[in-house]
Amino acid sequence: MLDFFAIFSKGGIVLWCFQGAGVTESFTGPVNALLRSVILQERSGNNSFTHNSLSLKYKLDNEFELVFVVGFQKILTLTYVDKFIDDVQLHFRDRYKNELEQRGALKFLLNNFEFGDDFHTLMREAEVSSKAKAPVSMRNFNESEKSKKTVKSMIETKDGDKTKEQGGKKSKNAKKEGEKSESGGDQAKAASKKAVENGNESLTQEEIIERNRAKFISKQLGGGKAEKPSKSPKPQKPKGKANRVWDMGGKSIGELDYSGTNGNNSSDAQNQDPDATAEPLIQVDSMKGDLRGVDYESSDDEDEVVQEEERVVVANTKKGAKKGGFGGMFGMLKGLVGSKNLTQEDMEPVLDKMRDHLIAKNVAAEIASQLCVSVAKKLEGKVMGTFTTVASTVKQALQDSLVQILQPKRRVDILRDVLEARSQRKPFVITFCGVNGVGKSTNLAKISYWLIENGFTVLIAACDTFRAGAVEQLRTHQRRLNSLHPPEKHGGQPAVQLFEKGYGKDAAGIAMEAIAFARNQCFDVVLIDTAGRMQDNAPLMTALAKLIAVNTPDLVLFVGEALVGNEAVDQLVKFNQALADHSKTDKPRLIDGIVLTKFDTIDDKVGAAISMTYITGQPIVFVGTGQTYSDLRSLNARAVVSALMKA
Amino acid sequence: MEEEKIHVDVEDFSEEQFMESFMRDIQSEEGVLIIGILVALALVILTIVFFGNFWGSSKARNAVLLLGLCDSGKTLLFTRLLLGKFVRTQTSITENSSTYKSKNERGSSWTLIDVPGHESLRVQIVEKYKAVAQAIVFVVDSSVFQKDVRDVAEFLYSILTDNIVAKNAPTLVVACNKQDISMAKSAKLIQQQLEKELNTLRVTRSAALSSQDGAVGGSVYLGKKGKDFEFTQLPNRVEFIECSALGSKGEDGDADIHNLENCLAKI
Repeated sequence: MLDFFAIFSKGGIVLWCFQGAGVTESFTGPVNALLRSVILQERSGNNSFTHNSLSLKYKLDNEFELVFVVGFQKILTLTYVDKFIDDVQLHFRDRYKNELEQRGALKFLLNNFEFGDDFHTLMREAEVSSKAKAPVSMRNFNESEKSKKTVKSMIETKDGDKTKEQGGKKSKNAKKEGEKSESGGDQAKAASKKAVENGNESLTQEEIIERNRAKFISKQLGGGKAEKPSKSPKPQKPKGKANRVWDMGGKSIGELDYSGTNGNNSSDAQNQDPDATAEPLIQVDSMKGDLRGVDYESSDDEDEVVQEEERVVVANTKKGAKKGGFGGMFGMLKGLVGSKNLTQEDMEPVLDKMRDHLIAKNVAAEIASQLCVSVAKKLEGKVMGTFTTVASTVKQALQDSLVQILQPKRRVDILRDVLEARSQRKPFVITFCGVNGVGKSTNLAKISYWLIENGFTVLIAACDTFRAGAVEQLRTHQRRLNSLHPPEKHGGQPAVQLFEKGYGKDAAGIAMEAIAFARNQCFDVVLIDTAGRMQDNAPLMTALAKLIAVNTPDLVLFVGEALVGNEAVDQLVKFNQALADHSKTDKPRLIDGIVLTKFDTIDDKVGAAISMTYITGQPIVFVGTGQTYSDLRSLNARAVVSALMKA
Repeated sequence: MEEEKIHVDVEDFSEEQFMESFMRDIQSEEGVLIIGILVALALVILTIVFFGNFWGSSKARNAVLLLGLCDSGKTLLFTRLLLGKFVRTQTSITENSSTYKSKNERGSSWTLIDVPGHESLRVQIVEKYKAVAQAIVFVVDSSVFQKDVRDVAEFLYSILTDNIVAKNAPTLVVACNKQDISMAKSAKLIQQQLEKELNTLRVTRSAALSSQDGAVGGSVYLGKKGKDFEFTQLPNRVEFIECSALGSKGEDGDADIHNLENCLAKI
């Protein structure tokens, strides 16, 4: 029934494996996929995973650093698998306890783990036990619980008050039934017992009358109030809609037309903007090369460690041990000598505190809880060192998993990719999408400044045909950038050009034309600016998905602001879903990267970074830290995590 | 004489007095003194225990790191080097480390550490071990090298430009693995391609280091400015060798790692 069962160490060495009869495919592929997408992305909360037609269940043994994985066909619903894995794990541990307690990786290699016989016995037992449960026969009426209840107790009155029943009445009924059934005292006793349990639990008559009286009085007082507010909104509805009065209404079209002043300037695109030269803060050539990481006051410990010469590793462990040592002394004095296994109960209070801390730092609530569950799974059963407390172990594990989440899963080097595209004589296309007001156009301008600094030519495609002033905004940026990098420096060609077709047109069509134009004119990069849209707005999401599916950009960047809280999860999930649903290919283009904007407005509540990377699994490519052109950074995972874990 | 007598008497008297007063002092401050001695002893014991616990490995650099992308064959190479036998492997999620006895005349032994290649793990684990690395074996999958050349180069670049690694200048052995596959590229070709790629990366990663302080990553410039990058320009000793962890006969046969073993013997 099972396709395969594998036991391997966390270091990757397979100790023992079993392949079901008739299964030809190797299990390496599915298990690697499981490891990469679940365990390494800290999603080990639920322990099952599907890969093509296989369903995989796994269990981590943290004491001996083992992983147990079982795979079976998705269409089979095997109920015994969970318990089976637990049994196998316990059996394996007991049998090979001595070998597994040795230190070093050699223990996995030197010992032969002949587990086949035990495994087959266990499997047979599990299969037999699952079949042994005979189908439960239906109870007849007399055995059911319903016969024990009285009819009146099952009637639901208007107050929803079953307990209005007087205990006396019930017992009377029960007695009557008992007499009727002629089976004697036993059944009456049983019935009356049941009635008492169902009802008022031995209230006396007087108490019941008192309660009913109080209820009656309160109903008279409160019921009237409850009815009144429901009546009041009704009479307001039939009022008709009043006509809306606009401020600018009544003025002539001529007055409202401002295109005259614009038209003069748009004709010569090379016009130098006098404002830009007056800007004292932009330093040309300051953004060459790779982006700087986000500045954070890293703790002094880190600096010292970096500057020390050869004692880095030893010093680190010494410091850590000393800090934990004094806390650990008290922990040890609490009655535990020697190594101790971590259990769920031990970690529970610490994890709750950590979860609240993360939520206070603006991590989305469900992400924080999933993370804590995943960390608990990773630490369960682990043996703690002699001088460490539960709190310090959990904190360290949480810190490691946060850094792991923020590390990019693929290479993030835009400049290198642009060079590659240039060598293939096609433009590198980047699309920016996101909800309204997150900073797409501003960060697009910053990124084009960075690219120009590194010697590339940029075409900005104004595919935001909805928002008033979007095209003008991009034109202003283009003029400013060109004045900072005059065409003479770039061999006569302007560094930035704007491709726009006005307002009201189809965004996907404009994008396609822009890319064709860039290819003809040999531009290096095309930056496509789209309109902001809410994730619930289905027609707009369809339009965005169509733009991306038709034009297949090299990079789809989701722009999100760092201030967003739980909304981040909803936005990203719905954006990804829309992109997947409306693409016609098997492998839809999803969000490839995240731009985190307005990072200077949050102090150390940097949780949005975690939420976004966790949900998509994609790296944060750029971080926007202000409104000038040089306020563009790359993410420094360690700094963000230390800000997150800071008290 | 009387004075001398008196003088002598006084001396004797004062000595005795001194001794008595000393004894009295000890007896009166007995509690405090003894507590002080005990505390000092306890501190000494504590320090010894701490040092004993965490001074296990010596400070000297005596580790060899096996680095590389995912699926390049590091874990299998690890087992082959240690025991010579074949094991099935999966993606590693923690590092494997063990002592290795090298096959040279001195019979020296050092720690061989197999670092997981997965992107989210490798940075943290390399951080842990980079200071004690005497040599780095960079394992490259020769059969898919054309496709992964940029990822390989980026990893290699990030290691070589790390401050601590650049300072220690460990020996770099680039092991072109999976030579048993017919499509595998030769070591020479891989060397040329890596040199070209690293040349480009130098430009994109550190173009204007002089004008920017606090640059991303290491502020180390590989090779010589103005000239195309070559591995001979590095302060480290660099060697490119071919090997096959699987071996031509698959699971049963030996691996073709003689070159690698000879290399490691020179460390």
